[in-house]
Amino acid sequence: MNVGHSLFSPVFRLVLVLAAGACHRHEGAKASESAGARVGVITAVTGTQAAFGQAHQRGYAIALEEINAQGGVLGRPLEIDTYDDQSKPDIALQGVSKLVDQDRVPVVLGSYSSESSLALVPTVTRKEVPLIVPTATADNVVQQRSAWVFRLCAGSGDYAAAMVAFLKSHGDPRTMAVVYENTNFGQSQAAAMRQAATRSGLSILDEEAYNAGSPSYSPMLQRVKEKRPEVVYFASYLLDATTLMRQSRAVDLDPRFFTAAGTGFSAAEFPTADKGAGKDAEYTIAASQWVPQVKWPGSKEFDEKFFARYGSHPAYHAMQAYAALKLAAAAIEKAKRPDPTAIRDALKTIQMDSAFGPIRFGDNGQNQHPVVITQVQHGVHTVVWPPDVAVAPVLETSPWSAR
Amino acid sequence: MTGGLYAVIGMGLALIFGVMRIVNFAHGAFLMAGMYLAYFAYTGLHVSPYASFPGVMLALFALGSVVYRVLVRHIVSAPHAMQILLTAGLSFFFIGLAQVLFGADYRQLHLDIASRNDRFAGLTFNRAYAVSFALASAVSCALYFVVARTELGRALRAVAQNRAVAALMGIRVERVSAIAFALGVACAGLGGALLLPVFYTYPTVGEPLQIRSFVIVVLGGMGSIEGAALGGVVLGVAEGLTAYLWSDSYSQVVDFVIFLGVLLLRPSGLFGRSLA
Repeated sequence: MNVGHSLFSPVFRLVLVLAAGACHRHEGAKASESAGARVGVITAVTGTQAAFGQAHQRGYAIALEEINAQGGVLGRPLEIDTYDDQSKPDIALQGVSKLVDQDRVPVVLGSYSSESSLALVPTVTRKEVPLIVPTATADNVVQQRSAWVFRLCAGSGDYAAAMVAFLKSHGDPRTMAVVYENTNFGQSQAAAMRQAATRSGLSILDEEAYNAGSPSYSPMLQRVKEKRPEVVYFASYLLDATTLMRQSRAVDLDPRFFTAAGTGFSAAEFPTADKGAGKDAEYTIAASQWVPQVKWPGSKEFDEKFFARYGSHPAYHAMQAYAALKLAAAAIEKAKRPDPTAIRDALKTIQMDSAFGPIRFGDNGQNQHPVVITQVQHGVHTVVWPPDVAVAPVLETSPWSAR
Repeated sequence: MTGGLYAVIGMGLALIFGVMRIVNFAHGAFLMAGMYLAYFAYTGLHVSPYASFPGVMLALFALGSVVYRVLVRHIVSAPHAMQILLTAGLSFFFIGLAQVLFGADYRQLHLDIASRNDRFAGLTFNRAYAVSFALASAVSCALYFVVARTELGRALRAVAQNRAVAALMGIRVERVSAIAFALGVACAGLGGALLLPVFYTYPTVGEPLQIRSFVIVVLGGMGSIEGAALGGVVLGVAEGLTAYLWSDSYSQVVDFVIFLGVLLLRPSGLFGRSLA
């Protein structure tokens, strides 16, 4: 072994590696100085939830433009550092490492799904970086009471409570079947509905957990049909929402109300024929976080901008991303420096009005966001409850054979 | 009715495994390819998958032949680890290619036939599903006929039984293997095309179906085409019954219960000869 003299000797190589490492660390230190103008985003750019990831990205893009048009954050343009979690929680976790350890962002926004977002909670708590959750509704995301997690959207408990209140004031049905995806999101929604229903005297005749992404739900829907519930409550993402409605038609499942915990049923694509259930979406009732018609400042403008740019109206997932980025920018400004702890403290006490309504976090990191109920009428999500923001009365669900 | 589709996909895998003893880990990727091809045939040429499926089969047959000639034939006698690596690598390549070309977003068709439901004897049949099932069954029968009654079929069976002796008997083993592989791939593609009207396509759509086809091949008996056909139907029915009688979330569990049951109780499957 010829050590020490050759240019490519092991010792020399070791020195090179250490030097490179030192340079990188120096660069890293420099990056963190300007990283105050950077926010980390994890979302489902690809994978089964890509449609929602796209809604997120569009919302973020519009917010970013507006923020930078008004001078950016801390006097510098804001940048977004996006990581694609491919709709998978384990990849979302990798995203945190990359964004926080490598890119040194002081705050992370994400992810989309409850599954992925829940996966992030222990890690951001350990790394002491604040996480703003724009869209995940599962209650366990905030139940861990991490001091670093701030959820912008309303949770499953709020969906269920709103839906039950709506049903009570519209015919007061007595029986329900809950059909939910067998993941964190679905299970949380089902549990929340179980609680809310029992409290209000609504009896749950049947609970069906299904594996997402299957082409065949007919046997399950047939079972639901045989129990004859007055209401069916779905907790599904977009792809399954489409399959479920198509197959509800196939098995002639005709409850008085098809209801859903938002999400897939509230997606902008859901009433469309090429990306959703098309005409089969008609009459479905969904708990929603936001629709363009709400009276919060900036709502209408966001809708118009979105439509002008993308040719379709935004679903609430896009608005959640938009509001989340605006919130992050405001928090960084309030903290006066791009430091994770300072930003976290700013988020704890921040109070702001946004196009997504008033934002203010409770002790458990939850924002008190009100839920609205919408119905697909003539292919459009229309607010039908609460009465002070409703724009149209509820249409009776027509049986499949009459459509 | 999903059983019919499972059957045709499983038969393809059984064909490849039976003749070449290769477990094709890219089977799902080929199914996905067939699905995308049928999708673009519809959006670009306005041809329904029910009309374009022969074209899809041919295209995938060609693709399978090319893949065989360029890659697979080198590993026919290689250790199993190599075969798995190659076919799995192929799978990654095709899925990645699809993600780059088409994006990870899903695509679906809204054929009129998919919203027609026929009621018969108290049961409801979705017309598109029924047509897919009928076509899949027809192709399965045709395939069985080819394997059991034609000269080519005899050659396929001979190579499956014993490659060396088949070669000595004058059978062009290379050519037969190529045909078996291409035919197996075409079956996967057909499965995709027939699934498109009732489902949606995205780059990794083939994965759960590929796992089911492994179960089907084992259930039917390693290398037995008719076993795979029957196995496909049995699996489809078992899944449907489980979802109906118990819960949909267990319908996939039943796949693996069957898998384990067969391996433990009757390793040769329904029709297979035990691998000597």
